[in-house]
Amino acid sequence: MSAVLYPVRRAFANLRADVFALPSRTIVLLFILGLLLLPLYSDDPYLLRIVIMACVFAIFAASWDLLSGYTGQVNFGHALFFGTGAYAAALLHHHFDITPWITIPVGSVAAMAMGFLVGIPCLRLRRTYLSLATLAFPLILLGILFAFPDFSGGELGISGVDRLFRNRVANYYAAVILMLVLCFAMWKIGTSKLGLIFHAIREDEVAARASGINTPRYKLLAFGLAGLFAGAAGAFFVHFLRIAGPSTLEVALSFQAVIWGIFGGVATIYGPVVAVFVLYPLTELIATFPELREFRLLILAVVVLLVLLFMPQGLTPWIRNKIEHVCQRCKNRNAIWRDECRICGASLRH
Amino acid sequence: MLRRTLTAVVAALAVMLSTAHAADPIKIGIVGPMAFVQGENHWNGAVLAADEINKAGGIKVGNESRPLELVKVDTNEILSVPDAANAMERVITQDEVDFVVGGFRTEAVLAMQDIAMDYEKIFLGVGAAHDQLTLRVGQDYDTYKYFFHVAPTKASDLGRTLFAVLGTIAGQIRAELGKEKPKVAIMAEKVAWTQAIVKAAEANLPKMGMEVVGLWQPSPTATDVTAELSAIRRAGADMIFTVISGPVGIVLGRQMGELEIPAIPFGINVEAQKEGFWQATGGKGNYVATLDTYGGGDVAISDQTIPFVKKFEQRFGVLPAYTAATYDAIYLLKEAIESAGTTDADDLVPILEKTDRTGTGGRLVFDKNHAPTYGPGYLTGIAVQWQDGKKVAFWPNNWNGVTYKGVKSFQIPKAMLAGKKDGKG
Amino acid sequence: MLTDIFVTGLVNGGVYALLAVGFSLIFGVARIVNIAHTAFYMLAAYMVYTFLNLAGLPLLVAVILAVGLVTALSMVAYKLVIEPVREYESAVLIATIALALIFQEALLLIYGGHFLGSPTLIPGQTDLFGVRVTYQQLLTIAVVALVLIGTWFLLNRTRLGLAIRATANDLEVANLMGMNVSRVAMYTVAISVALAAIAGVVVAPLFVVDPLMWLAPLVTILAIVVLGGLGSLKGSLIGAFVIAYVEAITVFTVPAGSFLKGAVALSIMVLVLLIRPEGLFGVAFEEER
Repeated sequence: MSAVLYPVRRAFANLRADVFALPSRTIVLLFILGLLLLPLYSDDPYLLRIVIMACVFAIFAASWDLLSGYTGQVNFGHALFFGTGAYAAALLHHHFDITPWITIPVGSVAAMAMGFLVGIPCLRLRRTYLSLATLAFPLILLGILFAFPDFSGGELGISGVDRLFRNRVANYYAAVILMLVLCFAMWKIGTSKLGLIFHAIREDEVAARASGINTPRYKLLAFGLAGLFAGAAGAFFVHFLRIAGPSTLEVALSFQAVIWGIFGGVATIYGPVVAVFVLYPLTELIATFPELREFRLLILAVVVLLVLLFMPQGLTPWIRNKIEHVCQRCKNRNAIWRDECRICGASLRH
Repeated sequence: MLRRTLTAVVAALAVMLSTAHAADPIKIGIVGPMAFVQGENHWNGAVLAADEINKAGGIKVGNESRPLELVKVDTNEILSVPDAANAMERVITQDEVDFVVGGFRTEAVLAMQDIAMDYEKIFLGVGAAHDQLTLRVGQDYDTYKYFFHVAPTKASDLGRTLFAVLGTIAGQIRAELGKEKPKVAIMAEKVAWTQAIVKAAEANLPKMGMEVVGLWQPSPTATDVTAELSAIRRAGADMIFTVISGPVGIVLGRQMGELEIPAIPFGINVEAQKEGFWQATGGKGNYVATLDTYGGGDVAISDQTIPFVKKFEQRFGVLPAYTAATYDAIYLLKEAIESAGTTDADDLVPILEKTDRTGTGGRLVFDKNHAPTYGPGYLTGIAVQWQDGKKVAFWPNNWNGVTYKGVKSFQIPKAMLAGKKDGKG
Repeated sequence: MLTDIFVTGLVNGGVYALLAVGFSLIFGVARIVNIAHTAFYMLAAYMVYTFLNLAGLPLLVAVILAVGLVTALSMVAYKLVIEPVREYESAVLIATIALALIFQEALLLIYGGHFLGSPTLIPGQTDLFGVRVTYQQLLTIAVVALVLIGTWFLLNRTRLGLAIRATANDLEVANLMGMNVSRVAMYTVAISVALAAIAGVVVAPLFVVDPLMWLAPLVTILAIVVLGGLGSLKGSLIGAFVIAYVEAITVFTVPAGSFLKGAVALSIMVLVLLIRPEGLFGVAFEEER
């Protein structure tokens, strides 16, 4: 009897120690629970649609952060990977009648390949020059697609793509689980040794090379990984919206990724996710008020500007600093109401 | 005492009966890019129809007269396709409309169509003309049967009108300028929908006795075509066959006028259909000719056309664009509902399929794919030319026996006539 | 055909030069990639349209008012929005993107999404070397030449110009030498945006005006400054004419490919970035190459 209870008690103990100890992690847990339980509270298809889109864009934004936030290679054309995943999945489905269960992974891999392809020339560039080059790549792909309208559908794209599931709630859970799994994977990468290397590359590439790190290899890896995750988002998107069009490659989408990333907080992974779940439903909400509808993009731009002025590091670091303290001695985070560090016991008040 | 109770009971009954008779409105969602002129026309055409219908007592469904309520839906489709999909789902699930009318950008309408079909809502397409929208009805009737393309003529039929008008203009060039083989320069945007028309032009024009002197393909948003116009002038073209939907159409009109290029601009020029074209070209867009739907208010495609155009202009201050055909779409719905005695979509589909109705743009009969039938006596569209600040219809003028009242003759640019007088044929 | 190419390239090159020089100036001095640069150009075009068409003001007044207002607006925007986040490069980028979007949306709200035509400042046309040009185009060339000469004069013969060039060369040392770097940056912003505004005023009658007109020139300008070298004014000038002539050649030699104009500029930019990122005349900074 106690053998069965043991893992449960163990899990609960872990929960108390690792998750409930920190307000930010508790919030994340509540958020995940909220997402998973939402359909029980309301099966309004419009609401579910908004959350599904938010999940897709969350993966997209987080993948941008993995590349641009962690390694410092600021990508102004991230829509390239999204669009590659979308078009690859749609083309496979349209021409060869392949099920979404296969086209989505294959689309992701195609986007990853695109990531490597594009990352190679970017190895020679730094900073602004790199950003400008990345801006050009989706436009070049767009030009190629437009040059072969019989194959790619031209400006109409590829329509009539099947959904993953016919049932809206099933699609919802697919989106949420995909988002949770992929974002958790990205976060794990970010907090792993690989993530440490990425941080090092951003902070001081020369020092990193001097330490023996093969920086070009890791920079390329960052491009590939970002492509993989963004492509997954794009491929899923296509199977939900049921059409893959040039809008998946446009400059506005790339800019959105940058805005979400910076707004949420770079080099965090969870930052852009928060940004998407805050900003995207907000813009949709504004659209439901007829008087405010026309001001949507304007309000978004103003909000972003204000956040930049008052929280230049991004939204989530600002929030985290308000609810958590960093212990002076052991550098671990503690809830703000604590007097002593939970790990080393040092006093947090001074 | 008895009397008082009786009055109370009667009063209560009266209240109950009257509220029971305040009928549920029939809700129609008007979907379009409301910040742009296409969406504005969607809405205005619909409002015109709805106000008239409500003033006349609403729509009779069985024994009840139900008022019409319109829901304005800004799809923002020009800038974002996902936004349009969200908007469509929102209007169906949150606003709970019974029918949907509108749509403009094909990529978005394809996505919106899928959503409306999922919910089995009748969707009347007014604006997007791509063949794919109605081909789907034929490919998967059970899913797409709720979609009907009301206006304008579908894309492939546009080509047929274009060649008919080209032939007419060529005839006029031969007559007035004495040129047996007019030279035509094709200026088409490099996008998917123009390619079929361009190929057809390159094949057919020589057979019609014209010579194709070159193909120029500017970008739809090009801000300068002086280079192209210089080259076209050098090639000695008499006509520029335009297949353009973007703002480059304005630039073309303006720069042709400024540089006094001696050629006739005709074809599809969507910007030239708009009333703002004259101002946008700074008054230089004279002689630009294009296919159109409603014209300048002086041509009677049917006997409803001119009254409609005048009503529209009076109320909204501008001439209607082709997306204002929501007016016809709403009346079409009204008549189908009254004929079926119900608003149930499955009951209405067969009734709509049997439509044979003369509306503001012509006679509407659906083919088996729910697209409007094309041909003399059906929906054809008209051709207009800008003459001194007004859109003047000049076609059809004795085409297969069809002439719409009010068409005037086509004007050849002065620069070309001057050239003839000097002997520079 | 050669004369066609020559004249077309000259006119378009001039317009691009006005925009590119201003863009390069801001980058060279303040290290700001001003995504909103062409948005200011758009604002000026709308303002001159409003003053001429809607308010009926005389030509010179409308032009001066438009350029002045836009320049003033840029200084306010710089002080409020850009300066506070100067240290965070990425934040500056987002801020300029947000600014451009705000301008676009504001214009969309006020004027609607329609295309508007600005009246020609000088109507009429003439034949130049056998090529038809409008007086408006000639005016553009003249104004561009004047403005560029004026800018050269400002930069090379005045104290302010000296300060700007010094700051562009080495920010820290300029600061050490006692120049008020943030003041210099603000003046540079003003000059740069004034150049863009003049381009907007002069160019508006040639093209059509709509709230999205800032996007296409932005890509071309980026290509030009990369080709010429970020931070080099001479490079931007030459780059502008190179791109303009390449575009003209494309249109005249491959008429069916005239839509490729944009793609050509983009390809040049990518090629330059791959082969020689500092461009023709760019200064290669240690940490940037």
